[in-house]
Amino acid sequence: MSQEKTSYIEIMAKGIWKENPVAYQILGICSALAVTVKMSTSIVMGIALTMVTAFSSLLISSLRKKIPSNIRIIAELAIIASLVIVTDQILKAFFYDISKQLSIFVGLIITNCIVLGRAEAFALANKPLDSFFDGIGNGLGYSLVLMAVAFLRELLGSGKFFGFNIIPQFLFDAGYQNMGLMVLAPGAFFIIGMLVWLKNSLSRLSKEER
Amino acid sequence: MSEIPNKNQDKNSRKNVILFALLLSVVCSVLIAVTAGGLRGFQQANMELDRKINILKAAGLIKGKKPSKEKIKELYDTHIKEVLVDGQGKVIEANLPNSLSLYFYQENGSLKGYILPINTRGLWGKIQGYLAFENDGQTVSGFSIFSHSETPGLGGEIESAWFQKNFKGKKILNSQNKFISIGIAKGKSANLPKDKQAHYVDGISGATLTGRYLSEGIEQTLIKYEAVSITFRQKQLRAQKDVPAKSVQ
Repeated sequence: MSQEKTSYIEIMAKGIWKENPVAYQILGICSALAVTVKMSTSIVMGIALTMVTAFSSLLISSLRKKIPSNIRIIAELAIIASLVIVTDQILKAFFYDISKQLSIFVGLIITNCIVLGRAEAFALANKPLDSFFDGIGNGLGYSLVLMAVAFLRELLGSGKFFGFNIIPQFLFDAGYQNMGLMVLAPGAFFIIGMLVWLKNSLSRLSKEER
Repeated sequence: MSEIPNKNQDKNSRKNVILFALLLSVVCSVLIAVTAGGLRGFQQANMELDRKINILKAAGLIKGKKPSKEKIKELYDTHIKEVLVDGQGKVIEANLPNSLSLYFYQENGSLKGYILPINTRGLWGKIQGYLAFENDGQTVSGFSIFSHSETPGLGGEIESAWFQKNFKGKKILNSQNKFISIGIAKGKSANLPKDKQAHYVDGISGATLTGRYLSEGIEQTLIKYEAVSITFRQKQLRAQKDVPAKSVQ
Protein backbone atom coordinates (compact mmCIF):
# COMPACT_ATOMS: atom_id res chain seq x y z
CA MET A 1 0.00 0.00 0.00
CA SER A 2 2.75 2.42 0.98
CA GLN A 3 4.56 1.52 -2.22
CA GLU A 4 1.46 2.41 -4.21
CA LYS A 5 1.22 5.69 -2.41
CA THR A 6 4.77 6.64 -3.27
CA SER A 7 4.15 5.74 -6.90
CA TYR A 8 1.16 8.11 -6.97
CA ILE A 9 3.33 10.84 -5.52
CA GLU A 10 5.98 10.11 -8.12
CA ILE A 11 3.42 10.32 -10.91
CA MET A 12 2.18 13.63 -9.58
CA ALA A 13 5.67 15.03 -9.13
CA LYS A 14 6.43 14.16 -12.74
CA GLY A 15 3.49 16.25 -13.89
CA ILE A 16 4.24 19.13 -11.58
CA TRP A 17 7.96 19.50 -12.20
CA LYS A 18 9.86 17.01 -14.35
CA GLU A 19 7.45 16.86 -17.24
CA ASN A 20 5.55 20.04 -16.53
CA PRO A 21 2.87 20.35 -19.23
CA VAL A 22 3.60 23.96 -20.10
CA ALA A 23 7.34 24.17 -19.51
CA TYR A 24 8.37 20.71 -20.74
CA GLN A 25 5.61 19.42 -22.99
CA ILE A 26 4.77 22.94 -24.28
CA LEU A 27 1.04 22.20 -24.06
CA GLY A 28 -1.78 24.53 -23.10
CA ILE A 29 0.10 27.65 -24.16
CA CYS A 30 -2.95 29.41 -25.62
CA SER A 31 -4.92 29.48 -22.39
CA ALA A 32 -1.72 30.30 -20.48
CA LEU A 33 -1.57 33.46 -22.57
CA ALA A 34 -5.21 34.34 -22.18
CA VAL A 35 -6.08 33.97 -18.51
CA THR A 36 -2.82 35.09 -16.92
CA VAL A 37 -3.43 38.83 -16.82
CA LYS A 38 -4.73 38.50 -13.29
CA MET A 39 -3.96 36.09 -10.43
CA SER A 40 -7.59 35.43 -9.52
CA THR A 41 -8.71 34.15 -12.92
CA SER A 42 -5.62 32.01 -13.39
CA ILE A 43 -6.13 30.24 -10.07
CA VAL A 44 -9.76 29.33 -10.80
CA MET A 45 -8.76 28.26 -14.30
CA GLY A 46 -6.03 26.06 -12.81
CA ILE A 47 -8.48 24.39 -10.44
CA ALA A 48 -11.06 23.81 -13.18
CA LEU A 49 -8.48 22.33 -15.52
CA THR A 50 -7.02 20.09 -12.81
CA MET A 51 -10.47 18.69 -12.05
CA VAL A 52 -11.32 18.06 -15.69
CA THR A 53 -7.96 16.46 -16.49
CA ALA A 54 -8.12 14.22 -13.43
CA PHE A 55 -11.64 12.96 -14.05
CA SER A 56 -11.36 12.62 -17.81
CA SER A 57 -8.14 10.63 -17.36
CA LEU A 58 -9.88 8.46 -14.79
CA LEU A 59 -12.85 7.80 -17.07
CA ILE A 60 -10.84 7.26 -20.22
CA SER A 61 -8.44 4.97 -18.45
CA SER A 62 -11.24 2.84 -17.05
CA LEU A 63 -12.73 2.59 -20.54
CA ARG A 64 -9.36 2.05 -22.23
CA LYS A 65 -9.97 -1.63 -22.96
CA LYS A 66 -13.37 -0.86 -24.47
CA ILE A 67 -12.57 2.15 -26.66
CA PRO A 68 -12.04 1.05 -30.28
CA SER A 69 -8.64 2.42 -31.29
CA ASN A 70 -9.75 3.91 -34.62
CA ILE A 71 -12.28 6.22 -33.04
CA ARG A 72 -10.42 6.74 -29.80
CA ILE A 73 -9.75 10.47 -30.26
CA ILE A 74 -13.40 11.17 -30.97
CA ALA A 75 -14.42 9.09 -28.00
CA GLU A 76 -11.92 10.87 -25.75
CA LEU A 77 -13.13 14.25 -26.95
CA ALA A 78 -16.75 13.29 -26.36
CA ILE A 79 -15.94 12.32 -22.78
CA ILE A 80 -13.87 15.46 -22.16
CA ALA A 81 -16.44 17.75 -23.73
CA SER A 82 -19.29 16.26 -21.71
CA LEU A 83 -17.28 16.66 -18.51
CA VAL A 84 -16.47 20.27 -19.31
CA ILE A 85 -20.08 21.10 -20.11
CA VAL A 86 -21.23 19.48 -16.88
CA THR A 87 -18.56 21.43 -14.95
CA ASP A 88 -19.68 24.63 -16.60
CA GLN A 89 -23.33 23.95 -15.76
CA ILE A 90 -22.49 23.22 -12.14
CA LEU A 91 -20.40 26.38 -11.87
CA LYS A 92 -23.25 28.41 -13.36
CA ALA A 93 -25.76 26.96 -10.92
CA PHE A 94 -23.79 27.14 -7.68
CA PHE A 95 -20.80 29.44 -8.24
CA TYR A 96 -22.34 32.02 -10.51
CA ASP A 97 -19.83 34.77 -9.78
CA ILE A 98 -16.80 32.61 -10.49
CA SER A 99 -18.33 31.23 -13.65
CA LYS A 100 -19.00 34.77 -14.81
CA GLN A 101 -15.37 35.69 -14.26
CA LEU A 102 -14.10 32.75 -16.25
CA SER A 103 -16.67 33.30 -19.00
CA ILE A 104 -15.60 31.46 -22.13
CA PHE A 105 -12.49 29.85 -20.71
CA VAL A 106 -14.33 27.03 -18.97
CA GLY A 107 -15.68 25.99 -22.34
CA LEU A 108 -12.23 26.30 -23.82
CA ILE A 109 -10.86 23.67 -21.46
CA ILE A 110 -12.13 21.22 -24.09
CA THR A 111 -9.56 22.50 -26.54
CA ASN A 112 -6.76 22.59 -23.98
CA CYS A 113 -4.14 20.23 -25.33
CA ILE A 114 -3.17 19.08 -21.84
CA VAL A 115 -6.42 17.21 -21.29
CA LEU A 116 -6.31 15.32 -24.58
CA GLY A 117 -2.53 15.02 -24.36
CA ARG A 118 -2.68 13.24 -20.99
CA ALA A 119 -5.53 11.05 -22.20
CA GLU A 120 -3.51 9.97 -25.23
CA ALA A 121 -0.11 9.73 -23.61
CA PHE A 122 -0.99 8.32 -20.21
CA ALA A 123 -4.57 7.29 -19.57
CA LEU A 124 -4.79 4.92 -22.54
CA ALA A 125 -1.86 2.87 -21.26
CA ASN A 126 -2.21 3.03 -17.48
CA LYS A 127 -4.48 2.03 -14.64
CA PRO A 128 -7.41 4.33 -13.73
CA LEU A 129 -6.04 5.51 -10.39
CA ASP A 130 -2.57 6.16 -11.81
CA SER A 131 -4.21 8.17 -14.57
CA PHE A 132 -6.26 10.11 -12.06
CA PHE A 133 -3.14 11.18 -10.20
CA ASP A 134 -1.33 11.88 -13.45
CA GLY A 135 -4.20 14.23 -14.32
CA ILE A 136 -3.96 15.96 -10.95
CA GLY A 137 -0.19 16.30 -11.25
CA ASN A 138 -0.36 17.78 -14.71
CA GLY A 139 -3.21 20.08 -13.73
CA LEU A 140 -1.20 21.32 -10.76
CA GLY A 141 1.88 21.79 -12.92
CA TYR A 142 -0.20 23.84 -15.32
CA SER A 143 -1.71 25.88 -12.48
CA LEU A 144 1.75 26.56 -11.06
CA VAL A 145 3.01 27.96 -14.35
CA LEU A 146 -0.19 29.99 -14.79
CA MET A 147 0.22 31.48 -11.35
CA ALA A 148 3.88 32.31 -11.89
CA VAL A 149 3.10 34.00 -15.18
CA ALA A 150 0.07 35.79 -13.75
CA PHE A 151 2.06 36.98 -10.76
CA LEU A 152 4.67 38.62 -12.97
CA ARG A 153 2.14 39.99 -15.45
CA GLU A 154 -0.15 41.48 -12.83
CA LEU A 155 2.78 42.94 -10.92
CA LEU A 156 4.57 44.44 -13.90
CA GLY A 157 1.52 45.18 -16.02
CA SER A 158 -0.80 46.79 -13.51
CA GLY A 159 1.25 47.02 -10.30
CA LYS A 160 -1.17 44.79 -8.43
CA PHE A 161 -1.35 41.47 -6.61
CA PHE A 162 -4.79 39.83 -6.45
CA GLY A 163 -6.25 43.20 -7.35
CA PHE A 164 -4.50 45.10 -4.54
CA ASN A 165 -2.10 47.87 -5.43
CA ILE A 166 1.36 47.01 -4.21
CA ILE A 167 3.56 49.39 -6.15
CA PRO A 168 3.60 52.44 -3.85
CA GLN A 169 2.31 55.70 -5.21
CA PHE A 170 5.60 57.59 -4.71
CA LEU A 171 7.26 55.35 -7.29
CA PHE A 172 4.63 56.38 -9.83
CA ASP A 173 5.22 59.99 -8.84
CA ALA A 174 8.93 59.46 -9.37
CA GLY A 175 8.26 58.39 -12.94
CA TYR A 176 7.67 54.65 -12.66
CA GLN A 177 5.23 53.32 -15.23
CA ASN A 178 3.31 50.07 -15.62
CA MET A 179 4.49 47.94 -18.50
CA GLY A 180 1.63 47.98 -20.98
CA LEU A 181 3.23 45.10 -22.86
CA MET A 182 2.66 42.76 -19.91
CA VAL A 183 -1.12 43.16 -20.12
CA LEU A 184 -1.09 42.03 -23.73
CA ALA A 185 -0.43 38.54 -25.06
CA PRO A 186 3.19 39.18 -26.18
CA GLY A 187 4.14 39.89 -22.56
CA ALA A 188 2.99 36.39 -21.65
CA PHE A 189 5.05 34.93 -24.49
CA PHE A 190 8.20 36.54 -23.12
CA ILE A 191 7.51 35.33 -19.59
CA ILE A 192 6.59 31.80 -20.62
CA GLY A 193 9.66 31.63 -22.82
CA MET A 194 11.89 32.67 -19.96
CA LEU A 195 10.18 30.26 -17.56
CA VAL A 196 10.72 27.38 -20.00
CA TRP A 197 14.37 28.33 -20.29
CA LEU A 198 14.76 28.64 -16.52
CA LYS A 199 13.03 25.33 -15.84
CA ASN A 200 15.00 23.40 -18.42
CA SER A 201 18.35 24.80 -17.43
CA LEU A 202 17.59 24.03 -13.78
CA SER A 203 16.66 20.45 -14.70
CA ARG A 204 19.89 20.13 -16.69
CA LEU A 205 21.93 21.43 -13.78
CA SER A 206 20.47 18.88 -11.40
CA LYS A 207 21.12 16.12 -13.94
CA GLU A 208 24.75 17.11 -14.30
CA GLU A 209 25.20 17.09 -10.56
CA ARG A 210 24.06 13.53 -10.49
CA MET B 1 -15.32 -16.92 -24.12
CA SER B 2 -13.26 -18.44 -26.91
CA GLU B 3 -12.74 -14.98 -28.40
CA ILE B 4 -10.43 -13.85 -25.62
CA PRO B 5 -7.20 -14.23 -27.61
CA ASN B 6 -8.37 -11.94 -30.44
CA LYS B 7 -10.23 -9.58 -28.17
CA ASN B 8 -8.22 -6.68 -29.49
CA GLN B 9 -9.40 -7.32 -33.01
CA ASP B 10 -12.92 -7.82 -31.83
CA LYS B 11 -12.81 -4.42 -30.11
CA ASN B 12 -12.07 -2.80 -33.47
CA SER B 13 -14.68 -4.64 -35.53
CA ARG B 14 -17.06 -2.39 -37.42
CA LYS B 15 -20.02 -3.55 -35.39
CA ASN B 16 -18.26 -2.77 -32.17
CA VAL B 17 -17.09 0.67 -33.31
CA ILE B 18 -20.60 1.71 -34.23
CA LEU B 19 -22.06 0.23 -31.08
CA PHE B 20 -19.49 1.95 -28.91
CA ALA B 21 -19.95 5.30 -30.65
CA LEU B 22 -23.74 5.07 -30.29
CA LEU B 23 -23.56 4.06 -26.67
CA LEU B 24 -21.07 6.78 -25.80
CA SER B 25 -23.10 9.48 -27.50
CA VAL B 26 -26.28 8.36 -25.78
CA VAL B 27 -24.60 8.29 -22.36
CA CYS B 28 -22.97 11.68 -22.90
CA SER B 29 -26.14 13.34 -24.16
CA VAL B 30 -28.18 11.95 -21.32
CA LEU B 31 -25.59 13.16 -18.84
CA ILE B 32 -25.55 16.66 -20.29
CA ALA B 33 -29.31 16.85 -20.71
CA VAL B 34 -29.92 15.72 -17.14
CA THR B 35 -27.46 18.21 -15.60
CA ALA B 36 -28.59 21.07 -17.81
CA GLY B 37 -32.26 20.35 -17.17
CA GLY B 38 -31.82 19.68 -13.49
CA LEU B 39 -29.79 22.81 -12.84
CA ARG B 40 -31.80 25.17 -15.04
CA GLY B 41 -33.90 26.38 -12.14
CA PHE B 42 -30.83 27.36 -10.12
CA GLN B 43 -29.20 29.02 -13.11
CA GLN B 44 -32.25 31.08 -13.99
CA ALA B 45 -32.64 32.19 -10.41
CA ASN B 46 -28.97 33.23 -10.43
CA MET B 47 -29.35 35.15 -13.67
CA GLU B 48 -32.50 36.89 -12.54
CA LEU B 49 -30.81 37.91 -9.30
CA ASP B 50 -27.75 39.08 -11.21
CA ARG B 51 -29.93 41.16 -13.53
CA LYS B 52 -31.56 42.83 -10.55
CA ILE B 53 -28.19 43.45 -8.91
CA ASN B 54 -26.97 45.16 -12.05
CA ILE B 55 -30.03 47.36 -12.38
CA LEU B 56 -29.61 48.36 -8.74
CA LYS B 57 -25.89 48.95 -9.28
CA ALA B 58 -26.58 51.19 -12.27
CA ALA B 59 -29.06 53.15 -10.17
CA GLY B 60 -26.40 53.51 -7.47
CA LEU B 61 -28.40 51.57 -4.88
CA ILE B 62 -25.71 48.96 -4.36
CA LYS B 63 -22.23 50.11 -3.60
CA GLY B 64 -19.29 47.91 -2.73
CA LYS B 65 -20.24 44.60 -1.16
CA LYS B 66 -23.04 42.42 -2.40
CA PRO B 67 -26.07 42.39 -0.07
CA SER B 68 -28.07 39.28 0.71
CA LYS B 69 -30.64 37.83 -1.66
CA GLU B 70 -33.58 39.07 0.38
CA LYS B 71 -32.15 42.56 0.64
CA ILE B 72 -31.70 42.71 -3.13
CA LYS B 73 -35.29 41.64 -3.75
CA GLU B 74 -36.54 44.19 -1.25
CA LEU B 75 -34.47 47.01 -2.75
CA TYR B 76 -35.58 46.09 -6.24
CA ASP B 77 -39.26 45.90 -5.37
CA THR B 78 -39.32 49.22 -3.52
CA HIS B 79 -37.23 51.28 -5.92
CA ILE B 80 -37.39 49.85 -9.43
CA LYS B 81 -40.42 49.79 -11.68
CA GLU B 82 -40.31 48.14 -15.07
CA VAL B 83 -42.23 50.14 -17.70
CA LEU B 84 -42.83 50.15 -21.43
CA VAL B 85 -42.76 53.34 -23.49
CA ASP B 86 -43.75 54.13 -27.06
CA GLY B 87 -41.62 56.00 -29.62
CA GLN B 88 -42.64 59.37 -28.15
CA GLY B 89 -41.44 58.44 -24.69
CA LYS B 90 -44.93 57.99 -23.22
CA VAL B 91 -45.56 55.19 -20.79
CA ILE B 92 -47.90 52.58 -22.25
CA GLU B 93 -49.62 49.61 -20.71
CA ALA B 94 -49.76 46.98 -23.41
CA ASN B 95 -46.79 45.56 -25.26
CA LEU B 96 -47.06 47.26 -28.66
CA PRO B 97 -44.73 46.31 -31.53
CA ASN B 98 -42.40 49.32 -31.24
CA SER B 99 -42.45 49.67 -27.52
CA LEU B 100 -39.21 49.99 -25.56
CA SER B 101 -38.69 48.67 -22.09
CA LEU B 102 -36.97 50.66 -19.39
CA TYR B 103 -36.86 50.98 -15.63
CA PHE B 104 -37.90 53.86 -13.42
CA TYR B 105 -35.97 54.50 -10.25
CA GLN B 106 -38.30 55.73 -7.53
CA GLU B 107 -37.58 57.03 -4.08
CA ASN B 108 -40.53 57.63 -1.74
CA GLY B 109 -42.94 57.76 -4.67
CA SER B 110 -41.07 60.39 -6.66
CA LEU B 111 -39.12 59.67 -9.81
CA LYS B 112 -35.38 59.89 -9.22
CA GLY B 113 -34.20 58.69 -12.61
CA TYR B 114 -34.48 56.08 -15.30
CA ILE B 115 -32.43 53.10 -16.39
CA LEU B 116 -31.95 52.00 -19.99
CA PRO B 117 -31.03 48.46 -20.97
CA ILE B 118 -27.95 48.35 -23.21
CA ASN B 119 -27.83 45.45 -25.60
CA THR B 120 -25.03 45.45 -28.11
CA ARG B 121 -22.44 43.32 -29.80
CA GLY B 122 -18.98 43.09 -28.35
CA LEU B 123 -15.81 41.61 -29.73
CA TRP B 124 -16.71 37.97 -28.98
CA GLY B 125 -20.38 38.09 -28.19
CA LYS B 126 -23.25 40.12 -26.88
CA ILE B 127 -22.72 42.76 -24.22
CA GLN B 128 -25.71 43.45 -22.00
CA GLY B 129 -25.80 46.14 -19.39
CA TYR B 130 -27.70 49.03 -17.87
CA LEU B 131 -27.17 52.77 -18.12
CA ALA B 132 -28.89 54.92 -15.53
CA PHE B 133 -29.73 58.61 -15.82
CA GLU B 134 -30.71 61.21 -13.29
CA ASN B 135 -34.13 62.77 -13.63
CA ASP B 136 -32.69 65.77 -15.50
CA GLY B 137 -32.56 63.55 -18.59
CA GLN B 138 -28.94 64.24 -19.39
CA THR B 139 -26.60 63.20 -16.57
CA VAL B 140 -25.48 59.59 -16.28
CA SER B 141 -25.85 58.34 -12.75
CA GLY B 142 -24.42 54.88 -13.23
CA PHE B 143 -23.50 52.06 -15.53
CA SER B 144 -23.26 48.32 -15.08
CA ILE B 145 -22.55 45.28 -17.20
CA PHE B 146 -24.83 42.29 -16.82
CA SER B 147 -23.32 39.81 -19.22
CA HIS B 148 -20.52 39.75 -21.76
CA SER B 149 -17.99 37.38 -23.25
CA GLU B 150 -15.03 39.70 -23.75
CA THR B 151 -11.44 38.62 -23.11
CA PRO B 152 -10.82 38.47 -19.35
CA GLY B 153 -8.28 41.06 -18.30
CA LEU B 154 -8.66 43.07 -21.51
CA GLY B 155 -12.18 43.69 -22.81
CA GLY B 156 -13.47 41.90 -19.74
CA GLU B 157 -12.43 44.92 -17.70
CA ILE B 158 -15.74 46.51 -18.72
CA GLU B 159 -17.22 44.71 -15.74
CA SER B 160 -14.69 46.15 -13.30
CA ALA B 161 -15.71 48.85 -10.86
CA TRP B 162 -13.22 51.51 -12.02
CA PHE B 163 -14.51 51.38 -15.56
CA GLN B 164 -18.17 51.54 -14.58
CA LYS B 165 -17.57 54.35 -12.09
CA ASN B 166 -16.16 56.32 -15.00
CA PHE B 167 -19.62 56.89 -16.43
CA LYS B 168 -21.04 58.69 -13.42
CA GLY B 169 -21.63 62.38 -14.10
CA LYS B 170 -21.09 62.23 -17.85
CA LYS B 171 -23.55 64.25 -19.95
CA ILE B 172 -25.46 63.43 -23.12
CA LEU B 173 -26.03 67.11 -23.95
CA ASN B 174 -23.26 69.44 -25.09
CA SER B 175 -22.98 73.14 -24.26
CA GLN B 176 -25.39 73.95 -27.11
CA ASN B 177 -27.96 71.54 -25.62
CA LYS B 178 -27.52 69.16 -28.57
CA PHE B 179 -27.56 65.41 -28.10
CA ILE B 180 -24.13 63.82 -27.97
CA SER B 181 -23.49 60.21 -27.05
CA ILE B 182 -21.17 58.85 -24.39
CA GLY B 183 -18.05 57.40 -25.96
CA ILE B 184 -15.17 55.36 -24.69
CA ALA B 185 -11.88 57.18 -25.17
CA LYS B 186 -8.61 55.65 -26.23
CA GLY B 187 -6.63 56.09 -23.06
CA LYS B 188 -7.63 58.58 -20.39
CA SER B 189 -10.49 60.98 -21.07
CA ALA B 190 -8.50 63.69 -19.28
CA ASN B 191 -6.14 63.74 -22.28
CA LEU B 192 -8.96 64.76 -24.62
CA PRO B 193 -9.86 68.36 -25.48
CA LYS B 194 -11.81 70.10 -22.72
CA ASP B 195 -15.15 70.17 -24.57
CA LYS B 196 -15.05 66.39 -25.07
CA GLN B 197 -14.21 65.36 -21.53
CA ALA B 198 -17.80 65.42 -20.31
CA HIS B 199 -18.83 62.91 -22.95
CA TYR B 200 -15.96 60.41 -22.85
CA VAL B 201 -14.97 57.83 -20.28
CA ASP B 202 -11.49 56.38 -19.74
CA GLY B 203 -10.76 53.56 -22.13
CA ILE B 204 -9.24 50.17 -21.40
CA SER B 205 -5.77 49.52 -22.78
CA GLY B 206 -5.71 46.47 -25.00
CA ALA B 207 -9.46 46.59 -25.57
CA THR B 208 -9.90 49.11 -28.37
CA LEU B 209 -12.46 47.03 -30.24
CA THR B 210 -14.58 46.24 -27.19
CA GLY B 211 -14.61 49.97 -26.46
CA ARG B 212 -15.61 50.82 -30.00
CA TYR B 213 -18.50 48.33 -30.09
CA LEU B 214 -19.72 49.38 -26.67
CA SER B 215 -19.60 53.06 -27.71
CA GLU B 216 -21.63 52.23 -30.81
CA GLY B 217 -24.13 50.25 -28.79
CA ILE B 218 -24.55 53.01 -26.24
CA GLU B 219 -25.04 55.57 -28.98
CA GLN B 220 -27.70 53.47 -30.73
CA THR B 221 -29.53 52.88 -27.48
CA LEU B 222 -29.42 56.55 -26.54
CA ILE B 223 -30.79 57.56 -29.94
CA LYS B 224 -33.60 55.03 -29.57
CA TYR B 225 -34.47 56.30 -26.11
CA GLU B 226 -33.84 60.01 -26.84
CA ALA B 227 -37.61 60.67 -26.70
CA VAL B 228 -37.65 59.44 -23.10
CA SER B 229 -34.71 61.65 -22.19
CA ILE B 230 -36.44 64.62 -23.82
CA THR B 231 -39.56 64.10 -21.70
CA PHE B 232 -37.41 64.07 -18.61
CA ARG B 233 -35.59 67.24 -19.69
CA GLN B 234 -38.91 69.02 -20.36
CA LYS B 235 -40.22 67.95 -16.99
CA GLN B 236 -37.07 69.31 -15.39
CA LEU B 237 -37.40 72.62 -17.31
CA ARG B 238 -41.01 72.96 -16.24
CA ALA B 239 -40.05 72.27 -12.65
CA GLN B 240 -37.31 74.89 -12.84
CA LYS B 241 -39.74 77.43 -14.33
CA ASP B 242 -42.27 76.68 -11.66
CA VAL B 243 -39.91 77.35 -8.82
CA PRO B 244 -39.01 80.97 -9.63
CA ALA B 245 -42.62 81.73 -10.56
CA LYS B 246 -43.72 80.61 -7.14
CA SER B 247 -41.04 82.60 -5.38
CA VAL B 248 -42.15 85.77 -7.19
CA GLN B 249 -45.69 85.30 -6.00
